[in-house]
Amino acid sequence: MPKKKLAVYTANGCRVCENSILDVHFQVSPFTPWADVGFWPYLTGSQWQDLDGDHRFDLCLFAGAVRTVDDRSAALRLREKSRLMLAVGACSAFGGMPGLLNLNGAADKADLVVPEKSAEPALPRTESRVSALSDIVAVDYVVPGCPPPKNLLWAAIQALICPGECTSRISYSASRLPDPISQSVASGILPPRGSTFAGEKAVCASCSRVKEEKKFTSVLRPYEIDPDPGRCLLEQGILCQGVATREGCGGLCTAAGAPCRGCFGKAEAVFDPGAKMISAISSTFDSTEAAEIKTMSQGFVDLAGTLYRYTMPAQCVLLAGPAEDEIHAGDVV
Amino acid sequence: MNRFEPKIIAFLCNWCSYVAADAAGVARLTQLPNVRVIRVNCSGMVDPGYVVKAFANGADGVLIGGCHPGDCHYISGNIKTLRRSFLLKSLLKEVGVEDGRFRLEWIAASEGPRYAKVVNEMVEEIRNLGPYVPLSRRPAKGAA
Repeated sequence: MPKKKLAVYTANGCRVCENSILDVHFQVSPFTPWADVGFWPYLTGSQWQDLDGDHRFDLCLFAGAVRTVDDRSAALRLREKSRLMLAVGACSAFGGMPGLLNLNGAADKADLVVPEKSAEPALPRTESRVSALSDIVAVDYVVPGCPPPKNLLWAAIQALICPGECTSRISYSASRLPDPISQSVASGILPPRGSTFAGEKAVCASCSRVKEEKKFTSVLRPYEIDPDPGRCLLEQGILCQGVATREGCGGLCTAAGAPCRGCFGKAEAVFDPGAKMISAISSTFDSTEAAEIKTMSQGFVDLAGTLYRYTMPAQCVLLAGPAEDEIHAGDVV
Repeated sequence: MNRFEPKIIAFLCNWCSYVAADAAGVARLTQLPNVRVIRVNCSGMVDPGYVVKAFANGADGVLIGGCHPGDCHYISGNIKTLRRSFLLKSLLKEVGVEDGRFRLEWIAASEGPRYAKVVNEMVEEIRNLGPYVPLSRRPAKGAA
């Protein structure tokens, strides 16, 4: 059986997703008989020229948001060359933290233009908004997370690359994954296009903390409290976004006492993550007086940046999607 | 030049505000025709997501009408709406929906004239603000 070929690339991102791919080292040895890396600038120093000619990839792992015209052409080029496109990480899946730039309206295209005289290489031109990969090209599968946990990445690579008889399958238990994904990990039959390698419900479903009655008196920033071990963080006044966020991480952050920051994007049934969190938090305010409720509400700072921290370009309903006249922003100045 | 006619979605509770709207009509009070009413059982069921969805689908304003505190048919549904309203207002403001486009008003069943007044006020206020344009389609802050 011929080996599959992989491409790995990060557009506008911090490359921790690529490190996360390297972190699945515990499984790399059974994986090597099945695939070769054909393009991976970060690890093997591949150049764009390497793609000239008749190279095709079976799977492209694309991380990072699309912010510059170069990011866009990279996405288009790799999509053209690859049979399957996997969005890796929150930036590529939903726009991620760079996506918070979209709060500034349609950003001035000239904001990063370097003076003529400066030394090469020139900075690429920025687009008018930050986009998720799926705004630019068709995305076959998604692994969310910032960075994606290695078990989910491994599940994705395994489902998309390894043939059925690969011995590594027995080492992965797909306990809380949706049926089509866990079947795919077990059998090697591809899950439906557009599937996300993560759970369906909210992080609360897999969070280990005990949830009792939620009553907020005032909101606390994480540094202001040493949370009780074992009790729900939201109940203790910390803004934990597990309620609105897709599970799959297994509640890693909440188990360590850190509130969920929403890096898996919204849960399946949530319409808008910000609106969902507003509903979840404020319904727990322990007061019936308008003035008191107002004071409590004023304790929250930067709601948009907090509630859409990783998801603004793709999942914030009021800011999502490219404006019709901006789709070809690259060629109209 | 044509005058801008705002589109306003009003979520009115079945027991107070909707009855008030009905009464305002029966009493033939003058109301501007810019409001599309959606009757809900209680203002407490208006999830912040509904409000966001209304704006995303082209509303220029959203009004939630509920019973006065203490009068809720379901005891405390309107208090739930009240709790959500402040955070929702700040979130909307941050993502580019100006103050004044979203309102929560207590209108009792007997307050037909008040309903007409609220509607007329809101329409005029939003007419002054102009159509709602999502942040992603506006020019950048501070851009020349």
